[in-house]
Amino acid sequence: METKIVAQVNLNTNSDTTSKLVRKLEARNISVFYGKFRALTDINIEIYVNQITAVIGPSGCGKSTLLRSFNHMIDLTPNARVEGQILLDTVDINTGNVDVVDVRRRIGMVFQRPNPFPKSIYDNVAYGPRLYGIRSKTDLDVIVEKAIHQAALWDEVKDKLHQSGLSLSGGQQQRLCIARALAVQPEVILMDEPASSLDPISTLRIEELMQELKKNYTIIIVTHNMQQAARVSDFTAMMMLDQDGSRSGTVVEFAETKKIFTNPKDKRTEDYVTGRFG
Amino acid sequence: MTTQFQELIASNQIRLASRRKFINAFMLTVTGFLTLLALIPLFWIIGYVFYKGGSFLSFSFFTQLPRPLGMEGGGVLHALEGTMILALLAAIFAIPPGVLAAFYASRYPNTPLGIVLRFSTDVLSGVPSIVIGLFVYIIMVKPMGHYSGLAGGVATGILMLPVIIRTTEEMLKLVPGALREGSLALGAPEWKTSLSVIFPAALSGVITGFLLAISRAAGETAPLLFTALGNERYDIKAIITNGMAQKQSIFTIFGRIVDQPVDSLPLTLWKYAQQPYPERIQQSWTVALVLMIFVLTINILARLWVESRKRRLQG
Repeated sequence: METKIVAQVNLNTNSDTTSKLVRKLEARNISVFYGKFRALTDINIEIYVNQITAVIGPSGCGKSTLLRSFNHMIDLTPNARVEGQILLDTVDINTGNVDVVDVRRRIGMVFQRPNPFPKSIYDNVAYGPRLYGIRSKTDLDVIVEKAIHQAALWDEVKDKLHQSGLSLSGGQQQRLCIARALAVQPEVILMDEPASSLDPISTLRIEELMQELKKNYTIIIVTHNMQQAARVSDFTAMMMLDQDGSRSGTVVEFAETKKIFTNPKDKRTEDYVTGRFG
Repeated sequence: MTTQFQELIASNQIRLASRRKFINAFMLTVTGFLTLLALIPLFWIIGYVFYKGGSFLSFSFFTQLPRPLGMEGGGVLHALEGTMILALLAAIFAIPPGVLAAFYASRYPNTPLGIVLRFSTDVLSGVPSIVIGLFVYIIMVKPMGHYSGLAGGVATGILMLPVIIRTTEEMLKLVPGALREGSLALGAPEWKTSLSVIFPAALSGVITGFLLAISRAAGETAPLLFTALGNERYDIKAIITNGMAQKQSIFTIFGRIVDQPVDSLPLTLWKYAQQPYPERIQQSWTVALVLMIFVLTINILARLWVESRKRRLQG
């Protein structure tokens, strides 16, 4: 059965383009279990430096589960277990003795719904740096300003840094959360449907921001919105539930976004991206 | 078929509509009436206590110690101070363990300890307050050899504990899990997340819980009968001035404040109301009024504080 699943995956990547890229994060035969239930089966994908990788697929196919196993957030779910290797800069981080705090600093996360802390805008962004022992006011000021700048929020909040983060609009709150994640200088940013609760204009701003951020960071975005995946991402992983009845998620195709949307190798991918799925 | 059905509906429509309107109006009247009925005890009590106790209320009632029968004036300063001391002690004893227990219960509700904790909290809140008083009498008053404010504070604290645990736990549970995840995803350890994200987010509700628990405890009489006893000459100012004159340390002074029998408003009310003298009966009404104002003030302050905090947080 194992071989059958692996055989279904079409690694449709063009070796010419990918050979120049540096692998930042790599999932090797990742399987995730919730208790006895196998939520993900043999996931193999490569995340390249300074590229945006989109993870698309129908609801419940394990996109978020995959994302959360990268930064050990899945450890918070009772009975969750991840098998396989997750290589961050070629070092396996899916081992018992890995420093989870360090992994989470290097792999930041932005959630589906904006979740600013009920603190001031400044304190929201300074929360991470303070965790890592930065106490000096001048250092914090510099870090906070830089992070908010990077999140394209500075002009909107520079006069009210000491107001509550909750006073901002939804889109601003989400950019505040991005600034908060950037403030600890992560290498990879995981985005779990970052725009799904936002209006089209705020969504556009987030997408523009992602293009800006990819110059310095590696981004993985889970999205339900295929146009969004097509617009923003460089690579796309198409996930789907196994069809053998096990209800386990798997990557059916991983390729450059262009190929996924114009010339998919897998029939299921084609059906999904053209809206004929089901 | 369809048309037949539609005709049936049309013919019934007026009848059904008037019936619906009638039932709506009827139910609205009934619920409105019952709401008023439920409010009657509240306003009756407040009104009656004001009517009976208001006439004797004066500034000196708050600032003077009781005077012997037959003398004009005098107040219940001893009981007011005692109530505050007891509330303070109870808060000191109940809030820290209560909050920590609530953190545990909200974070690990399904562990054996969490289940035991929840169950014991329920049991403890069901224990009659007089039994708690008796318990503290056995474990504190008897070994110490005398009644004391400290014992009263412990008894009131035990009474407050389940309320504190329960309200704090509920407030902590209301904090969205997304905040916790947001903090953990930044690499924050669990304790740091609890302390600097979850607790501040729940703070306004938690403080309201504290104040409500304190105001509940301030109205308790039964646990004080065997513990604080009552003390008509309780005078914090005198204790402090005496202590300062003898150059005692602040700890000694505080010890003297809590290590003697202490009075409280409900205790005074209970004692005065039993006496056969009209003046004392009159004063017990006024004490009831003072107690009510005391509790009401705490409640209103709690509400105002929560409102202002909400406004500040939501910008």
